[in-house]
Amino acid sequence: MPDEVVDVLIVGSGAAGAALAWSLADTRMKIVCLEQGDWMDPAKYPTTAMDWQLRGFGDMGLSPNGRGRPEDYPINDSESPIHVSNFNAVGGSTILYAAHFPRFHPADFKVRTLDGIADDWPIDYRLLEPYYDENARMMGVAGLEGDPAYPPKKPTLPPVPLGKLGETLGRGFNKLGWHWWPSDSAIATREYEGRAPCINLGPCITGCAQGAKASTDVTYWPVAVRRGVELWTRCRVREITVDENGMADGVLYYDAEGVERKQKAEVVVVACNGVGTPRLLLNSVSSHFPDGIANRSGLVGKNLMFHPYAMVMGLFDEPLEGYKGPTGCCIMSQEFYETDPSRGFLRGYTMETLRGMAPLSTALWGMSSGQLSSGEGHHESYQQLWDRTAGMVVICEDLPEECNQVTLDPELEDGNGIPSPKIDYRLSENSKKMLEHCVARGKEVLEAAGARKTYAEAPLGVAGWHLMGTARMGTDPQKSVVNEWGRCHDVKNLFIIDGSIFVTAAGVNPTNTIQALSLYIADKIKQNLANLFD
Amino acid sequence: MASGFSDAESSTLTSVLDEIIPPSRDGKLPGAGELGLVDYIADAVEKSPDLKPAILEGLSTLQDLSGGRSSDGFSALSKNEKAELLKELATTSPAFLPGLTYQTYLGYYQHPRVLEGLGIPGRPPHPKGYELEVGDLGLLDPVRARPKRYREC
Repeated sequence: MPDEVVDVLIVGSGAAGAALAWSLADTRMKIVCLEQGDWMDPAKYPTTAMDWQLRGFGDMGLSPNGRGRPEDYPINDSESPIHVSNFNAVGGSTILYAAHFPRFHPADFKVRTLDGIADDWPIDYRLLEPYYDENARMMGVAGLEGDPAYPPKKPTLPPVPLGKLGETLGRGFNKLGWHWWPSDSAIATREYEGRAPCINLGPCITGCAQGAKASTDVTYWPVAVRRGVELWTRCRVREITVDENGMADGVLYYDAEGVERKQKAEVVVVACNGVGTPRLLLNSVSSHFPDGIANRSGLVGKNLMFHPYAMVMGLFDEPLEGYKGPTGCCIMSQEFYETDPSRGFLRGYTMETLRGMAPLSTALWGMSSGQLSSGEGHHESYQQLWDRTAGMVVICEDLPEECNQVTLDPELEDGNGIPSPKIDYRLSENSKKMLEHCVARGKEVLEAAGARKTYAEAPLGVAGWHLMGTARMGTDPQKSVVNEWGRCHDVKNLFIIDGSIFVTAAGVNPTNTIQALSLYIADKIKQNLANLFD
Repeated sequence: MASGFSDAESSTLTSVLDEIIPPSRDGKLPGAGELGLVDYIADAVEKSPDLKPAILEGLSTLQDLSGGRSSDGFSALSKNEKAELLKELATTSPAFLPGLTYQTYLGYYQHPRVLEGLGIPGRPPHPKGYELEVGDLGLLDPVRARPKRYREC
């Protein structure tokens, strides 16, 4: 439709784009979403074949730089100790996420007021609460009511099984008197809205062949498409274009054949994640916006936040059946979540326990850590490791710093010749202290649970799963890129709805909050349709 | 030559694989050579330009060294002799054993017979999946008894 002007053009079909498309569909507006990837075929996910253990290191790996899929764009993250993970397909990174689905805490929106650092959000928990609830209904969230770490909330599904591993670790937390709770998980633990129940396949992070994990290609998108939203795949957007008044008037994109096309729109919504979004904005240069669209504040790409992660593992004497069950979803602890200045750092972290390793991962870990011998004694040393591992990743709150940023790489390009993002990121002193603290506490609880040996890696280099802060939200156009409902200060028909708009990162996985924000912004758009650009 | 290796290379490689992962004493787990991983290694060698010269050179050296001890090659040597030659090879062809060991682990720990030997089904996880106990949620009683842990604001 080269000459047709669509009402709403969404760029990116991941967590945020899907939720907004679904919500706006009831307006009967003409809505089109452009996605650079394609629909995934769950029947081809790794767990359906004997090479399931290896494909997570290959074409279904976390890093776009290592996967080699044509729909990926390379990212120069050589100047960062944490490397970006993402996925480009219908559903975006929800295809590979672990589906750990916590909410932010109320205090996460008031960091400046409560702890004197970073900034407060211009919105709060109570405002987002109904959208968290709505998102839980759409995604299907397994959990257990009564967690004292949160205001009351009602999960839609029973919790994921603890299994022997979860019980073992839960006893360790109890021994220390620490908080723990079954993880809120975007996993259908029983049949839900046409999705088959989880059958404990294990590696959720290479795609869920069962369809139990709530990636948005199996949750929001089928409903949105039935309601009339058009989702165009293999369309890679190069830039957002502006009219003579500096308003967004559409995008230039490349179709599957590499042909450059223009799509006009009344409203453009960007949902490309905390790295892809600043990349697109910075690539959208015009006489109105010589430094990139919506960048008069100079803050597009600045304040990049990852979550610095630690991994702490323990070796146990008994088999734990750890190869079964959702990899990243079992139990979590927020014993050290809220600020306690006596710890030597501000803000806090969540411990998220992991299931154990599969046979091949056990061997490779044993080899790299020098615990697995070859030749005589191989099997004996392997049996010391196999199904004896349990542990956690610890997700530390990152704080916004302008020096941590996404810019455009002067040389690197994707397959369509579009400049790639470059990441400059360093760990803050606060993060380093928090990592040190959480590694010590992680080892302590694993030992309390019976681990005879513990291991740690911090920061975890592969853990650039959460990309936030690079087009932050705020009421002051000098200090933020979008207003309190996602509209760019500089371009009133341009919205940003992904993790880029986070003001702070909290110490939990962001997807649930990204989607709650997206639903909230969609509602604000609907409420303000008559004077959306005022 | 079906594997891409000559018969002599295949024979030597099979013996080396059994040295890297021998059969388990209880008989539940096969040796890597016995498992027929030569074809897997041949495939890996073809896909990896870095690995290929190291493996081919190592096999050639091993055959040469073995020839001085037995006309029937490496596979006919005693356990101790094989260990000695592999130790020697670690000096003369340092890339051989690490590269081969890594590939052997990749092939071995994905094999259905090995998965079954470890006590798990020798099949992909999907579509049958696994049973997993819900677990004892009563373990949460002490946590429930504690006061709320979040800050109101």
